Amino acid sequence: MKSKTLALTVIALLGLAVPASAGAKTLIGSGSVAAQPVLQALFAQYTKVTKGKVKFVYTANGGNAGVKDVQNGTSQFAGQARTPLPSDAGTTYVKLYLDGLCIDVNPKNKLSDISIQQTHDIYRGLITNWSGIPGSGLDTTIDPVGRDTNGGTYNFFLQAVLNNEPPASNVNALTADGLVVNAVKQDPNAIGYDGLAWQGKGQKALKVNGVPCQASKISVEPLKYPLSRYIFIVLPTENPNPAVQKFVDWARRDPVAGEVIAKAGGVAAFNKKK
Amino acid sequence: MEESYPEEYGPRWSDRRVERMLGALVCAVVALLLAMIVIVFVKAWPSFAHNGLAWFGAGGNVDDQLNAIFLSGQAGAEYIYTFHAWPLIWSTLLITGGAVTIALFSALFVAVFIVEFAPEWMSNVLQPVVRFLASVPSVIYGLLGVLVLVPFIGNHLVSESQKASVAGVISLSGYSLLAAVTVLTVMIAPLMVSIFSDGLRAVRPGWLEGSLALGVNRWRTTWKIAVRTARPAIVAGTVLAVARAIGEAVMLAMISGSVGFAPNPADGAIFIFEPSRPLAPTIVKNIDQLSSPPANATLFAIAAVLLFSAALLSLTGWAARRAMRKYGATA
Repeated sequence: MKSKTLALTVIALLGLAVPASAGAKTLIGSGSVAAQPVLQALFAQYTKVTKGKVKFVYTANGGNAGVKDVQNGTSQFAGQARTPLPSDAGTTYVKLYLDGLCIDVNPKNKLSDISIQQTHDIYRGLITNWSGIPGSGLDTTIDPVGRDTNGGTYNFFLQAVLNNEPPASNVNALTADGLVVNAVKQDPNAIGYDGLAWQGKGQKALKVNGVPCQASKISVEPLKYPLSRYIFIVLPTENPNPAVQKFVDWARRDPVAGEVIAKAGGVAAFNKKK
Repeated sequence: MEESYPEEYGPRWSDRRVERMLGALVCAVVALLLAMIVIVFVKAWPSFAHNGLAWFGAGGNVDDQLNAIFLSGQAGAEYIYTFHAWPLIWSTLLITGGAVTIALFSALFVAVFIVEFAPEWMSNVLQPVVRFLASVPSVIYGLLGVLVLVPFIGNHLVSESQKASVAGVISLSGYSLLAAVTVLTVMIAPLMVSIFSDGLRAVRPGWLEGSLALGVNRWRTTWKIAVRTARPAIVAGTVLAVARAIGEAVMLAMISGSVGFAPNPADGAIFIFEPSRPLAPTIVKNIDQLSSPPANATLFAIAAVLLFSAALLSLTGWAARRAMRKYGATA
């Protein structure tokens, strides 16, 4: 009797698991935290467009980890915020949209413009006091915050600002972009960097080399804003999933997808205008 | 005899069958555990082999070493393994030690209050609350730390001159020993309270009544008889709490700071505001580097040290409880 009940329970539990995969197609992705707000918005819109036939599971474990997932087959696609490296063998990078890396300070800071060189000096520990940055109206010690090595944002910053030199030991490396926003919001002496999608949440984006960090300035080629970059969808070069490709085509071309990207804080680079 | 077995008792599983099945399960669990330990140590071996005992020592900047180890694996040239983990070990000792010491005393007094002194309605309320607190996921404490405690310390407790005195070396922005120890204490104290009060409640009432009947007051009875008898439970609770504190990764990664810096008590008052990074959060923060073989070995070596200290802890706890058995301890 009891063993029969047990067997029935097991079968019932298995039965519960099946319909979820049979009714709708679930696409599995992972990767960039910086791209997450835009990607999630695109996923939601695409699920609506396909009337619930395609669903997404996206784990924001960092762009580099996402590419590894694609390489070993655990993910069907990855979000990535940096350009391809030699270690990404076996994957294809598809440009999805444009993103700007903004340099942010607390709203109490009077600074409005910063150069790449000044940012470099702050994050290398060469300038440690706000008095070294004219226009800030502060003479306190700078609290620089950044990402840990798991973030695609970190790699982009490392390449674009620090010339691949590691950040100084007084830079606080946080585990997520949201924590960087939070740190800048709460500390009048902080400076941080994060994607365009995170702007306007209690922090002030600075002009970099005189160009404001705004969607309208981060145009398609040539990239005027010094810290602008493409966000990529990474697919396996061999046998990419056709459903994922269909989604990528939609996200790159469809005007509605373009609006979704803009609303979520990215800059649509390829989408047709309505 | 067979016929008289009542049907409503359900099917009869022979004891032997149960014994074998449970035995097999236990063997599987033990085998899994052994396999895990072997894998961790095998993977960690290159790091220990290259550094010897210097692995545990001080020397150089630990973050630069981690970076060099990672890059050497990416480049595919000769692997670098040089790694001196002392700042990370020191940070683990400071944060765990501080939190466990504070939590031990406060939890003991809270447990004594709940079991011996609080009116019944109050202990009825406090107990489920304590049990609930003990089961709150650590990331919630981490969030509270990041949103409330860290900015408070950074903006109100640390002065500008203190920050300027270490400018360029470390940032005193609130991510600190103080924040880590405070939140860790709050995290492990409920666990200790709930185990301590179980121990205190298990003390034979006759012993307490005997003492009270001799005219000894309640505080002295509690301290000399209840707390003494409950010592094995106190050791057990402390060991569990230390194990949880040493292994805590997510919460500490959020608030302890991210630099491999060894806070120095000789720095005076700013010592408690200094950031550091214990062993477990180091694994979390560098998880992305697992693809580089030497970095992989180094991270597994950190894991091996954590595993070894956990094993050592439970051994110490077992030995301490054994030694106390002669005092009539029950647990």
